[in-house]
Amino acid sequence: MKLGRRRVLKGIGGAMLALPLLESFDPPARAQKATPGPFAIFFRQANGVACEQNSQLGYREPERFWPTATGALTAETMMGRAVDELLEHRERVLIVGNVNMKDYEYGDGHARGALQGLTARGPTTPGAAGDSEASGPSLDHRIGAELNPQGRDSLFLYAGADGGWLGGSCISYRGPAQRRAAFRNPKGAFDSLAGAQQPGMSADASDLLTRRRASINDLVRGQMKRLLAHPRLSAGDRSRLQLHFDSIRSLEVQLGCQLEDASLQMLDGVDAFYASGDGDNVWKTTRLHMDIATMAVACGATRSVAIQVGNGNDSNNRYRDPDTGQLMENFHYISHRRLSHDANGTPIPGADLLHHKCDRQFAKAYKYLLDKLTANKMPDGSPLLDHGIAVWYNDLGNGPDHSPQSTPFVIGGSANGYFKQGQYLRVGGGGDPNHNKMLNTLGTAVGLRNQSGGPLDDFGDPGLPKGLLDELKA
Amino acid sequence: MSVPNGANRNFRDVDPFRVRVSCETVSVHTSTLAARIARMLLTLTGVCVLACGGEISVRNDGDSPARGAGNIASISGGPETEPPAPSTRAARLTHPQWENSVRDLFHLGDDTSFSKMLRSDPVQSGFLFDNNSTTLSVDDALWSGYQRAAEQIAEYVTTDASRLNPWLPAVTPGAAPGATAAPPPATATDPEARARGFVEGFGLRAHRRPLTAQERDEYLALFRMGSAMYPGMGGFEAGARLVVEAMLQSPHFLYRLEQSADERAGKIPLTSYEVASRLSFALWNTMPDAALLESAQANRLIESGEVAAQAQRMLADPRAQEVVGHFHDQLFQVGRFESIKPAPGVFPDLPTNFGAEVATEQRRFVRETLFAGQGGFEALITSTDTYVNADLGKLYGIANASSFGSDFRKVTLDASQRRGIFTQLGFLALNATSVNPDPIHRGVFLARRFTCATISAPPAMVPPLPEPMGRTNRETVEAHTQMPGTICASCHASIINPLGFPFESYDAIGRYRTMDNNHPVVTSSDPTIGGQQVHVDNALDLAEALADSAQAHQCYMQHWLEFAYGRAQLPDDAGMIAKLAKLSHEDHQPVLRLITALVTSPAFLNRSTKELP
Repeated sequence: MKLGRRRVLKGIGGAMLALPLLESFDPPARAQKATPGPFAIFFRQANGVACEQNSQLGYREPERFWPTATGALTAETMMGRAVDELLEHRERVLIVGNVNMKDYEYGDGHARGALQGLTARGPTTPGAAGDSEASGPSLDHRIGAELNPQGRDSLFLYAGADGGWLGGSCISYRGPAQRRAAFRNPKGAFDSLAGAQQPGMSADASDLLTRRRASINDLVRGQMKRLLAHPRLSAGDRSRLQLHFDSIRSLEVQLGCQLEDASLQMLDGVDAFYASGDGDNVWKTTRLHMDIATMAVACGATRSVAIQVGNGNDSNNRYRDPDTGQLMENFHYISHRRLSHDANGTPIPGADLLHHKCDRQFAKAYKYLLDKLTANKMPDGSPLLDHGIAVWYNDLGNGPDHSPQSTPFVIGGSANGYFKQGQYLRVGGGGDPNHNKMLNTLGTAVGLRNQSGGPLDDFGDPGLPKGLLDELKA
Repeated sequence: MSVPNGANRNFRDVDPFRVRVSCETVSVHTSTLAARIARMLLTLTGVCVLACGGEISVRNDGDSPARGAGNIASISGGPETEPPAPSTRAARLTHPQWENSVRDLFHLGDDTSFSKMLRSDPVQSGFLFDNNSTTLSVDDALWSGYQRAAEQIAEYVTTDASRLNPWLPAVTPGAAPGATAAPPPATATDPEARARGFVEGFGLRAHRRPLTAQERDEYLALFRMGSAMYPGMGGFEAGARLVVEAMLQSPHFLYRLEQSADERAGKIPLTSYEVASRLSFALWNTMPDAALLESAQANRLIESGEVAAQAQRMLADPRAQEVVGHFHDQLFQVGRFESIKPAPGVFPDLPTNFGAEVATEQRRFVRETLFAGQGGFEALITSTDTYVNADLGKLYGIANASSFGSDFRKVTLDASQRRGIFTQLGFLALNATSVNPDPIHRGVFLARRFTCATISAPPAMVPPLPEPMGRTNRETVEAHTQMPGTICASCHASIINPLGFPFESYDAIGRYRTMDNNHPVVTSSDPTIGGQQVHVDNALDLAEALADSAQAHQCYMQHWLEFAYGRAQLPDDAGMIAKLAKLSHEDHQPVLRLITALVTSPAFLNRSTKELP
C-alpha cells in the first residue's frame, strides 16, 4: 500500500484514528481531510536583531529590522528592513514590538533570553550563567502535555552544530531544571512520527510490525511496573522511570504521516549535513525540520513544535554572506561586533550589516515555514496556517547590549481568527516585563486554559503580573 | 615561591569541609630539587596499600610507579569516614555505553554506529561529564529511537549466520550461563530446550544478571511468537530476533539498575552482579565481560581482593585507556579544540587543522603520561614531555621538528618555557581571543576546574576591553577589571587574573613570547590557591604551585568521583574525596592507582542507606 494515501490505523486500544491528508494525496481523499486543532510552531533566533542602537564601537547603527511605522503592514513600511522577506505573507503576520522580558539574574544575557524565552521564568540558581537552568516548563511543552493525544511530548527540533554555550539545545523545558532533549537529526524526528508507517513498507509488513511492537511493549511495560514498585525508589528515580513508562504507552498509537517526495529524498542524505555548523547545512536542516513540523501539525501528531537554531548564543554556526559567497564569522561574534565571545577582541568591520544579513536568513527560513503552512490546505480550502500560529521570536532585543527589552515576536497565522493580522503594533506597558503575557496570549490562542477554565493568564513566573496582551486579539 | 602545605582548604563554597593533612609542612621551592627529592622520599616510603579494618597502612615496597601498578591502594572494610553516598538506582546508559554494550553483546566490530539513531542527550546544569545519572532519561523521542535501533540490530545479528553464531550462548548441558560458543553454537535437539538455553544465556548478558523465572517465562513466550511475527525466517532465528528486540528495549538493559535493599552494618551491600556492572561501566564504559560475569556468578565480587584483581585486569585493558581519555577530554574541553579559530591575518602560517592536531597532542600526552608513564595528577600538570608533529613542533620552537612530518613524536620541551598541560598549545589557544591571549578565561578555567572555586558570573552589560593604546595585554585587562572598589575587582583581582596572568608568556596560539606590544611580558602574580596566597613568577611556578596544592588534588579527585558515580558530589563523598586527594597529593599515587582506590572502596561497593531526593 502506498503511504501517500489516506490510511486508517487501528490503535492498540482499539480506537480508530482517521488520519488527515497531506499535499500529495489525491483529490477525492483530500476532501475527507480533518482539520487539526489549533497548533503553535515556535521558531527561535538568538543574539537579538540589527536594530537602531548606539554601537559600542562609537557609531550609531541604523534600524534594519522593524517596519518603519506601526499599523498596517505595507510594502512601504517593510521594505529595506529584514521583515521585508515576509512581504508575500504580510496579510497573515502580526509583528509585535515592545515585548519585554524580565531581567532575571541569570548571569548572562543569552542564558536569560534563551531559557526565559518559552518559559517566562527565572533561573533555578541565580548567576549560573552558562550552567543555568530555567525554573519551570516551557510553553511548547505545556501545549503538548495538555493538548496532544494522550499527552505525548511535543516536537522539539534543533538545527546546527551541537554543544557550546548552554549545552546546545536549551529552550524547551519539562519542568524546573528539566531540560528537554531535541531531535537534531530530522530523520529521527520523522521516524518517530511515522511509527509503523515506514516508507516503502507494505500494509501486511506494517501490521506485523505493529503487532511485534505491541507484544514487546507489553513485556517491557510489565518490567517497568515491577521496577516502579521498588519500595526504595527515590522520587527522582521514580519520576524518570515513570516518564519512560509513559513514553512506551504513548508511542503505541502513532499516526501515519508522510512527507513530500523531495523531502523524503533529502532525508536519505541528512546524516551528511545535519550536525554541521556551516550555514548552508544549517538552513537545509532547518527547512527539513519545518517540513516535518508542518507534517506533524497537519496530521494531528502534535499541537506544538519548537525549532531552535543554534546553541544558547548561536556561536557554533557560520552563515554565508549572500553578497560575497563567503562564510561569515560565527553569529555570536557578529552580534558582539568583535572576534570574541565576550567584550574583548578585534572589531569586525561592518558587523551591524552582517548581523542584518543573518536576520534576513532567519526571515527567509521563517518565510519557508509560512509557505509550507499556507500551501497545505484544509478540506474547506483554507490554508493550514489559518488554524494555528507560527511564531518567529528572538530571545534578545539587540546584539552587543543583550537587551531584554523589545524582543522581536512575529506571529504568523491567526489561530482560527484569534489574532489580528497584517499589522505591526507595539504593545503597551512601557518598559515593564510583559513577555509572560505574550506567552499567555499565545497559549490561550491554541487552547490552553488556566485552572479556572478561563484564558491562560498565569503561565510562567507566578511573581509576574498575570494577564494577556489583549491588543493582539482580533 | 613557598606553598604552605597542610593548610585547611575550602572545598567548593557550597560544601565546605576540612581536610587534615598528616604530613609535616613542606616548603617547596620549584626552582630547586628540594621538592622533587621530598616527593621521591614520600613515594618510596609512603605507598598506601590495602589494609583490613579500615586502616591505611604504609608498605615500603620500593617499587617504581610502573612496577608498582599492581599494588592497589584499596580501602576495604573502612570506617565510616568514607561512607557510600546516595546514588541513583536507575542509571540510564549513556549513548557511548549503549553503543559499546551492543557491540560487546553481539561481538561486533568497533565500527558500529547504531546510536546515531538515538536523539542526543541535553547537557544540564553544568555537569562536566556526559553521564549525569540523575538527569539521563527516556522520553518519547528516545524511546522511539531505542525501538527502531533494537529492531535494526536484531535484524542485523539474526539474519546472517556469520553474524549470528558468534554471540549465541552455548546451551549444551553444563555450559556456563553466559558463555558464548566458539562457532558454531551448540545445538540442542529439543527446540524448547534450545530456546530456553538461548533466553537464559543471552538474557544473563543483556540483563547483566541471571533472569528471574518470571522474566525467563515472559521472554520464552515471546520467543514462541517468533515464527508468526517473522514468517519468512527459521523458527529459532525468528524467536531469537524477537527476543533480542525485546531485551534491547528492556529497562534491565537500558539502565544500570541497582535493586539491592537489605541493610547491613549501616550500608546496603551490592550484589556481585551489581558490582560487576559498576566496575565495568566505570572502567570500560560498557557491559561486563565474561570474566566479570563468571566472577559474579561465583559471588566473588563481594570480596575486596577479587574486586581489586578485576580492577587491575580491567585497567590493563585498552578500554580503560578510552575511559580515562574520555574523562580528561571532558575535563580539559578537548572536544572544543576543533573550534579554535585564530585570526588568519594575525597568524597566517597556522596549520589548517590546528585544532585537530592539538587535540591529538593532548590525548596522546594524557594517555602516555598516565598509562605508559604511570603518572599522577602532578605529572599531568608539570611534565615537560609532550607529543608533536612537524606543525606543532615548529610552534614549540623545536629545531628538528620539520623531520617529524605528520607523525606525533615524544619530545621534551624547554623546561624554562613549558611545564605541564596548561602550558601546552591546546589549553592556551582554546583560552584566547582570535588575536590575543585571554588571561581572564585562562584564569577562570583554572579556578573553576582545578581549584573548584565558585565564581559568580560577570554582571550584565560589561563594556568591552578598551584598545591597548600602547599598553600590554595584561595592563589593558588590569585597568579594565581591577579598578579598586568595583564589582569586577572582587573576582578579577583576587581569583581570576592572578591565575591567568602567568600565561601572558604565551600568545593566542600558545607560542612562547617574551614581549607584548613592544613591552616585556610580566607574568608574576599572587594567586590564591587553597585559601593561601602564593607568589609565582610565571606559569611554570603556577604549575608547581597547583601540583603542591592539596586543594588542586582534591578538586581533581572530586571530578574523578563525579565521573565514576555519574552525579555531582554530595556531602557524604567528602571523606572519600579527601582520602583520594591525600593519596594523590601526599603519596603521589599514579592516577591509575587512584582510580583503583576509588572503585575498590566500600563507598563504591555499597549503597548508602539513604536515597537521593
